Amino acid sequence: MDLNVNGVPVSTDSDPDAPAVELLRDGLGLTGTKLACGNGVCGACTVLIDGAPGASCLLPTAHLEGRSVTTVEGLDGAHPVQRAFAAHDAMQCGYCTPGFVVEAAAFVDRWRAEHGDVDPGRAAVATAMAGHLCRCGAYEGIYAAVRAACAGEHDDPASAPRPRVEAFEKVTGRARYTTDILPAKRLEAVIVRSPHAHARVGAIDAGDVPHVDLLPDDRTLRYVGQPVLAVAAATRSQALAAAARVRIDYSPLPAVTRPEQARAAGSPLVYASRDERRAAPRSGEGPGLPGRWQGNVRGPSGFGRRQATAVRRLSRAAERGDDRLVTAVFTTSVQVHTPLEPHACVARWDERGDLHLHVSTQAVTDVAEQAARRWGLPPERVHVVAEHVGGGFGAKGRLGVEAIAAAELARICGVPVRLVFDRSEELTDAGSRPGTRTELALLADASGDLAALAVDAHGDGGVSVDTPTALFANLVYGTAPRRLRDFDVVTNLPPGAPFRGPGGAPLLWALEQGVDEMALRLKEDPIALRRRWDGNPKRHALYDRAAALPMWQRRNRGAQSGRIRHGVGVAAANWPYLLNTGAQVELEVREGRVVARAAIQDIGTGSRSVIADVVAAELGLPADRVRVEIGHNNGLKGASSTGSKTTTSIGPAAQDAARRLRRLLGDAPSVAHRLEASEGARVVGGRGRDRHGYLTPVPLGGMAVGRGFAGAVHVAEVEVDTRLGRIRVTRMWAGIAAGRIYSERLARNQCEGAIIQGIGYALYEQRHIDPATGVVLTDNLEDYRIPGIADTPEIEVYFHQEGWEHVNGGGVGLGEVAAIGVAASIGNAVRDATGFRPLDLPIRPDRLLEGMRP
Amino acid sequence: MNLPSTIRAAADTLRDHGGQARAGGTDLTARAGIGRTSGPFVDLRGVAELRGSERRPDGSVRIGAMTTIAEIAADPLVTAGHPALAAAAARLATPQIRTVATLGGNLLQRNRCWYYRNPAFSCHQSGGQGCPARTGASLYSAVIDRGPCVAPHPSSLAVALLAYDATVRTHRLGVVPAARIYGDGDDPTRDHLLEPDDVLIEVTLPPPAPSEGWAHHRAAARAAAEWPLVEAVARVGRDGGRLTSVAVAVGGVARVPLRLPEVERAVLRDGEAPESLSAAAARVADSCSPLADNGYKVELLRATVLEVLEQALAAPSAKADVDTPAREG
Ligand SMILES: Cc1cc2nc3c(=O)[nH]c(=O)nc-3n(C[C@H](O)[C@H](O)[C@H](O)COP(=O)(O)OP(=O)(O)OC[C@H]3O[C@@H](n4cnc5c(N)ncnc54)[C@H](O)[C@@H]3O)c2cc1C
Ligand code: SF4
Ligand code: FES
Ligand code: FES
Repeated sequence: MDLNVNGVPVSTDSDPDAPAVELLRDGLGLTGTKLACGNGVCGACTVLIDGAPGASCLLPTAHLEGRSVTTVEGLDGAHPVQRAFAAHDAMQCGYCTPGFVVEAAAFVDRWRAEHGDVDPGRAAVATAMAGHLCRCGAYEGIYAAVRAACAGEHDDPASAPRPRVEAFEKVTGRARYTTDILPAKRLEAVIVRSPHAHARVGAIDAGDVPHVDLLPDDRTLRYVGQPVLAVAAATRSQALAAAARVRIDYSPLPAVTRPEQARAAGSPLVYASRDERRAAPRSGEGPGLPGRWQGNVRGPSGFGRRQATAVRRLSRAAERGDDRLVTAVFTTSVQVHTPLEPHACVARWDERGDLHLHVSTQAVTDVAEQAARRWGLPPERVHVVAEHVGGGFGAKGRLGVEAIAAAELARICGVPVRLVFDRSEELTDAGSRPGTRTELALLADASGDLAALAVDAHGDGGVSVDTPTALFANLVYGTAPRRLRDFDVVTNLPPGAPFRGPGGAPLLWALEQGVDEMALRLKEDPIALRRRWDGNPKRHALYDRAAALPMWQRRNRGAQSGRIRHGVGVAAANWPYLLNTGAQVELEVREGRVVARAAIQDIGTGSRSVIADVVAAELGLPADRVRVEIGHNNGLKGASSTGSKTTTSIGPAAQDAARRLRRLLGDAPSVAHRLEASEGARVVGGRGRDRHGYLTPVPLGGMAVGRGFAGAVHVAEVEVDTRLGRIRVTRMWAGIAAGRIYSERLARNQCEGAIIQGIGYALYEQRHIDPATGVVLTDNLEDYRIPGIADTPEIEVYFHQEGWEHVNGGGVGLGEVAAIGVAASIGNAVRDATGFRPLDLPIRPDRLLEGMRP
Repeated sequence: MNLPSTIRAAADTLRDHGGQARAGGTDLTARAGIGRTSGPFVDLRGVAELRGSERRPDGSVRIGAMTTIAEIAADPLVTAGHPALAAAAARLATPQIRTVATLGGNLLQRNRCWYYRNPAFSCHQSGGQGCPARTGASLYSAVIDRGPCVAPHPSSLAVALLAYDATVRTHRLGVVPAARIYGDGDDPTRDHLLEPDDVLIEVTLPPPAPSEGWAHHRAAARAAAEWPLVEAVARVGRDGGRLTSVAVAVGGVARVPLRLPEVERAVLRDGEAPESLSAAAARVADSCSPLADNGYKVELLRATVLEVLEQALAAPSAKADVDTPAREG
């Protein structure tokens, strides 16, 4: 069969029924085209077929016969919309970018041909881009880029500055992700997963296929989708066929698939013995809280202040029917990370016995250390590469089953082995934010001050434990008495993993709505009440801004009656400041440029650019004289991209390194003229200590908790169609108090993305389970609903940069604090619009209709 | 792979060698990926007779089965004379699907039940027995329950075709009303009644009405690219101030796309005063029998029907205006 690809004639005999994306990526090596959902939903695989955009994951290869195909590579980096994407920072991780760019190129050309060089406006762009999903939520930049390209603002190839240093690689499809590593001689691996929610495994007969056992020590499977073993074969379809031939003896055991069922007396136990319970996976990030077990319930791990006083005040208030006692039960659904690049690894052992791992990870150094320990290697003999990472959000923080299986199989087979999760695996067993059921009680005294607070949170993290939620209520609203208890309810469902502000998002869903309810009871402005209760001076600055916003000032007061109602809601957030105390940056002068190296990775947060910006500014160099090399464990001390700590760890280290280099090169304001003569000059900078040190006296695993809390205030405006049950977030304001902003556009992009993920959490995202079997039903991006571009409100982000003078570098992380309060602000806005207080996430149309029923 | 160039050749190949006709391949490729079909496929893209659209001398409009959804959405014949069909086409799936997916494939696609689409389950529709959705997670299931299977029919275009009293022509059945290819939905093993070796050839829309109002609405949580919970089309004909015809068709609620004759009759009889319209829309509840999780669809169906009725009645006349956002809620 003959076709034309990017202007080049191509002859192929590949399977005519296979999806065209396979021919493009595997057959022709055009890896700019991504396979993310395989279901026609996300648009990552979009190519132009005779000029029209089509989804190559659902297009039979046969249909390309005689056609002309243009992939992102075919645009050659020369299309104005590519420059526009780079200039407006219309990306984060970049995994969705080639698909967007291809679609946008066709749209921009058509638009300009039909309308001339005019701005099409947001709605037209939203309609044109409706078939693309960006999990990072870079939609604001995408709107701006497409509109500007239509208006002819990016026709000049001498292009505008690019806030993100790797933007050009991402808009051209040249950025290589782990999934794009396709060694010619390799095997493809797939994981055989449990079809049972609970079973003991007997004999396994895999025949003569290379395979590796992935069972836990007790050979007991506790959820559908749990890895049993992995097999490898020459191609993915052969590996799938081999997997289907493996014979496994399962002895099914009784299972529990719903938390209510798990809590009932006499229900089957997920963990029957002490040893089993001790081996339970953890979904949290921290060291793990202690907790006693009772059946399937673990806990409480209790925190608080003057707990007995709190309980006494609350029960007396309940007895006397005090109107200033707010109580409610809030729930949140399991939210799945689903980064567009799935978990993936390509493993190889070289002739010296060194292990090479290309892996899609948020933590190159942690993965390297864990791999070294696992395979008994000295650290310098494990080489982890994560050049570009297609998102993580917390799910890619450790050495995972994809890497373990690939490395083991590579060792057995003596060739590189590649293992890439499909979307069903990614949505089933690659991490999720546990669901919660939170009982909240909040009491105000006669003068309207907070008198007592109680939070009992039950985490629904499947087989995993450790879902601290209530704990975070210790960090807010002064020192009033409070009792905070966290429980885990284990079930035979996949384990959770840390997800952007773990515990914070579900806590604030409850707490910030409770505070809002109190404001209503006290007939006080919700911002004013928070201002009174919250002693944090940085947030006071944000409250003042928020209160002055036109949407807040103009908001409706009193009950509305029409069909379409508008509401405005506010929520505040507080989040610990974490850092890697030892993070290092190395600078070396090479061929007239400064090359910066660090053992970090960029999952879309822009850490490359932070280093580049800091170094260029400190040395007085133009951007193109600094090159940043990251994504390798290179012997330097690094920082994982978790806990919002990369920037605050690496920024000061880069600054320190740059100062050292400047001194070395003669201490001029700009060292540009010294570079030629300084070839080979090399310095290493470190993350200097903060003034007054840290809350953690000694760093744990290189990590410390710093002094102070990052703060945020979100104000959401919604429009509610009470007839059809639809909620639209029309406007969002985010005030962020995280100190110095290293790279303004990139930080704003993070905050915008945080809002979009928060909108997903609030309105759409929910993992559904078949109650009878424990199978995840939402294992595709059609049924697991993440926000699209048209669901994006107009967003304004304000940075309050003062108050972090004690921090080296002056700024702390913001990726999490910018996300966790979003859902509550929307909940409060819905209450404001309708009088109905949504208690359960997501606020689906059916729930809204039910709640509004007279 | 097979690439016939005539309808007869395609039908003969299917009869003699089995397999399935393939149009755009978007549904078939997705189903092949989860083991719900294995081919062999007989590609219809070489059959010229299945392409194109035209106005016939009697004013009716013929659309070939291989016409893409994007072509239908932009076809001036359709946008002018049958705008609700153009609207349904313009809003379904995503732009990248609409450029390759076809009219025939849309009408004959298989359902989207998350049990049917998951290889972990077996049910009536996948060659097994029983219906796990009925007792399991039924959030999206049909609320007008007329048979063992409760997967809503997926086709958006079928809803509009029903509202326009369109006919379809197939190789083996000849010309039949569009509703005929779905029957009453009591056969839980299939989503349409065409024999495996039949070929859908074309759809015919009756001549456009001289003056009518219309509306199309998809009720869903997200703004775009989401399967509707409920979908509806309404058309109203007028003679001066007098209502002369009302057609309401709905999707997402039953095993097959449905017309709602009781609602149509009630509006014709009782007129367009707000209370009459509400009462007419409320009639949908009579035919609903919800499962554990989909009770909301009774209310949402009523609301969506009311929505399209109000919009169609408020609309001045049939104008090709698919881009007017006011027409969508
Ligand atoms: C993200 C997404 C969202 C979607 N949303 C919607 C939506 O809202 N509404 C909606 O209606 N659809 C929706 N779809 C479904 C889409 O419309 C269908 O996949 C598409 O219309 C199928 O057309 P096709 O030409 O690709 O069919 P194919 O995959 O080629 O065929 C589908 C079926 O029809 C049969 N067939 C096709 N043509 C003929 C013929 N001429 N004669 C006999 N048999 C034939 C095939 O044998 C096959 O069984 C969505 C799809 C995706 C991916
Ligand atoms: S609703 Fe239909 S498709 Fe879904 S499980 Fe039941 S029988 Fe199968
Ligand atoms: S990979 Fe094709 S649309 Fe998602
Ligand atoms: S930038 Fe869009 S998915 Fe990451």
